[in-house]
Amino acid sequence: MLIYSLIAGVLFGLYFTLIGIGLNLIFGVMKLVNLAHGDFVIVGGFFACALFAAAGVNPLATAGLLLVPMFVVGVVIYYGIVRRLRLSRDAEMLSLILFFGVSKIMEAAAGLVLGTSEQSIPSFALGAGPMQLLGQSFPKTWIYAAGVSAVAVIAVYVYLYRTKLGILTRAVMDNDDEAVMTGINVDRICAIALGISLMLAGVAGVFAPFMLGSITPAAGVDLSVAAFAVIVIGTLGNPLGAMLGGIIYGISLMLMQTYMSSWANVLPNVLLIAVLLVRPQGLLARQVRSA
Amino acid sequence: MTSPKTSLNRMLRDLCFVTIPIVAAMLILPSVYSNQLLLFNFVMFMTLAQGLNVIYGFTGILPLGYVGFFGAGAYGFALSVMHLNMSPVLAFFAAGIVSVVVGLLLIPLLRLSGAYFAIANMAASLALYQIVSNPDLAPITKGPYGISLQGVFSPSVSYACAVSVLALSMLAVSWLRNSTFGLSLQAVREDPISAATAGVSVARVRAIAWLISAWLAGLIGGVFAWHISVFYPDSVFDLGISISVIVFTLFGGSATLLGPLLGVVLLYSAYNIIGIGVPQYFQIMYGVLIVVLMLFLPNGVMSIFTSRGFRVP
Amino acid sequence: MSHSAAPMLKVDRIVKNFGGFRALDGVSFELRRGEILGLVGPNGSGKTTCINVISAIYGINSGSITFQGRLIGNRPPHLVTRLGINRSYQSPRPFQSLTVNENVTIAAAYGCGPRNAPDLDAILAFVELDGVKDRIAMELNSAQQKMLDLARALATAPSLLLVDELAAGFNPSELTKIAEKLRSLPAKGITLVVVEHLLGFIERVTDRVIVLNAGREIFEGLMSDAVRNPDVIRVFLGKSHAT
Repeated sequence: MLIYSLIAGVLFGLYFTLIGIGLNLIFGVMKLVNLAHGDFVIVGGFFACALFAAAGVNPLATAGLLLVPMFVVGVVIYYGIVRRLRLSRDAEMLSLILFFGVSKIMEAAAGLVLGTSEQSIPSFALGAGPMQLLGQSFPKTWIYAAGVSAVAVIAVYVYLYRTKLGILTRAVMDNDDEAVMTGINVDRICAIALGISLMLAGVAGVFAPFMLGSITPAAGVDLSVAAFAVIVIGTLGNPLGAMLGGIIYGISLMLMQTYMSSWANVLPNVLLIAVLLVRPQGLLARQVRSA
Repeated sequence: MTSPKTSLNRMLRDLCFVTIPIVAAMLILPSVYSNQLLLFNFVMFMTLAQGLNVIYGFTGILPLGYVGFFGAGAYGFALSVMHLNMSPVLAFFAAGIVSVVVGLLLIPLLRLSGAYFAIANMAASLALYQIVSNPDLAPITKGPYGISLQGVFSPSVSYACAVSVLALSMLAVSWLRNSTFGLSLQAVREDPISAATAGVSVARVRAIAWLISAWLAGLIGGVFAWHISVFYPDSVFDLGISISVIVFTLFGGSATLLGPLLGVVLLYSAYNIIGIGVPQYFQIMYGVLIVVLMLFLPNGVMSIFTSRGFRVP
Repeated sequence: MSHSAAPMLKVDRIVKNFGGFRALDGVSFELRRGEILGLVGPNGSGKTTCINVISAIYGINSGSITFQGRLIGNRPPHLVTRLGINRSYQSPRPFQSLTVNENVTIAAAYGCGPRNAPDLDAILAFVELDGVKDRIAMELNSAQQKMLDLARALATAPSLLLVDELAAGFNPSELTKIAEKLRSLPAKGITLVVVEHLLGFIERVTDRVIVLNAGREIFEGLMSDAVRNPDVIRVFLGKSHAT
């Protein structure tokens, strides 16, 4: 039981890392909280459900199809809304509320177009049946999700630490005033970051029906909170930190579900609060954010 | 605002021209308009908006989970009646005490900055909801099955009680608007370090505003439980209430007495006229309103006047 | 100007680190009641950090600060204000969305501790802001904002006032007036520490100076002696100028 929980925790943890890392990018680069992030994940999930139901499209293919549109949506949102917001005095708080508004719009629109009932995808779409991992058996879908998540996290790491654009992004994360003064086109970096963030959300969304069982428009908020918990536990700005945060989160969740299942849903919230009070800078960082 | 006399004058003016008329209106309306539940909801939202105003308008701290205090008050009332056999009036006071206790427990969160605090507070409210509605705790809180109070139903008395809490909330905001304490909160909001150099104990004044805000929400939560007698955990811990209240207050204009009231009257009326049919349409409008507000009028309708130099109550 | 036996402020071997950087490296000095002490030094010597630790914006890593017999090393800033220490900021920090009057009212209401609140109108007249009493701080020009910052500090009836680089941004005739104003404060019971770059201003205002370099004091005495001291000349002007 314990081994099962631990491994399942790692699998789910990697998946939550994927959800969190997009939020991490936005928060790190623009100091804005995208409370609608979970809703973008759900939208990805709905596309996967709809395309599968309509034409039997493999969810992985849907993930690929979503990459470019999600990126474009991110860039459009940046230039359309976020750029103006960043100029105001209290951008952080206003963005919180503004993205909550966006979240409401998306939730309502999804409900109108797709109905509010639960949607899911049968597991044979990705590959039915269990797979053996270290002597325990898990649904194949979980393992695929975790695998793709790990690849995505590494890809983000490579982007941030090995590409020119990524290095500029990290400069903006550290100090955007100075970045502007060294001639970096901060707007472009931010728009690209938002685009990448939504791309990651879309990919995460495709796996959501498998990892969560089923999805509804209202599930977005809980995912946003979970994503926030992941990046707070790990560290702001560091994708490997997010992975650490995700795994810790996933394992804690699994252990709770195994041993104290009726209280498992309280864990994410309590964990978030506890980490923010005890070690707000996360496990890996040097910077503290307190009032 | 040079002398105490001026601020007392201003508070008296607020009392005569804003608070008393509103209270009178809310007390008279039930005799001409039959939907008392709707009127009660108006009173409830106006109180919550003013309660939020106390903390957000004056300190800039945004409690996304403000509804947690409301729910704590509602359950405080319910549990006092069910398990301690208190009379409704005593249970009403107990509701206030419960929400203040919750507020005290959450005080450590106040040292977190902006977004971190907002999300932590939202998580706290969710956690409270999950704990209260957990089936394991059903013997105490009735878990997910909901509360059904016997023998306390008295719509007129509880309505009057609600209006008195509304009056209290308006007095609180008027006081903050016209006192040195209120100024110190605004100073802390602007520049906590500079405020500390001026002698203000930042932690202390924030905590005081926080607890007042929690208390008001708890009191009106208790009255809600009293008025309605039957409710489920997700109606009193609904994050949608938090967000509605935040939007009402922001739309009207925080840090003023009239702003939140205006926001509730305009937007909640709009909701009741348009929104009940297909909730998604209203949700979309709401979302768009929030986005537009944040981009173009972040200080609310009142800022249209205050930016021209008029002083708004 | 009265001098009492025990020093009003005693700074003893204070050390302040920021990560790996040692901003204050064992600074020690004493301040007598009623005097005006200057604190000078090149950029990065620790002058403002010194002010910041005395006014409790930062804590200290080791050493001690004693004010009127009480240890104040790591207390919260609002307590230190109420004990009677206040300061002006290098970049002024009045409350931008509040009026001039409201700015000083808050300070008087919260920062005086056991002392009586001073006459706010007199303070505003002293800094020549009484004409703009009801203007929002954001609308003032930078010189007025500096004066408001000073007024806010004076509004808490401090017995020790730390002035951080006040002179920048004023023309010579304004500086003469400000120097006079600062020199008039000890007669009203306020002892001063003046941190300054502009050596001419320091000379007019202070009784004696301490020269800091790299977090240590390298000279203490009269300004006129300081400018002849080889160590001082070296840190300000470079080795080639020292004899």
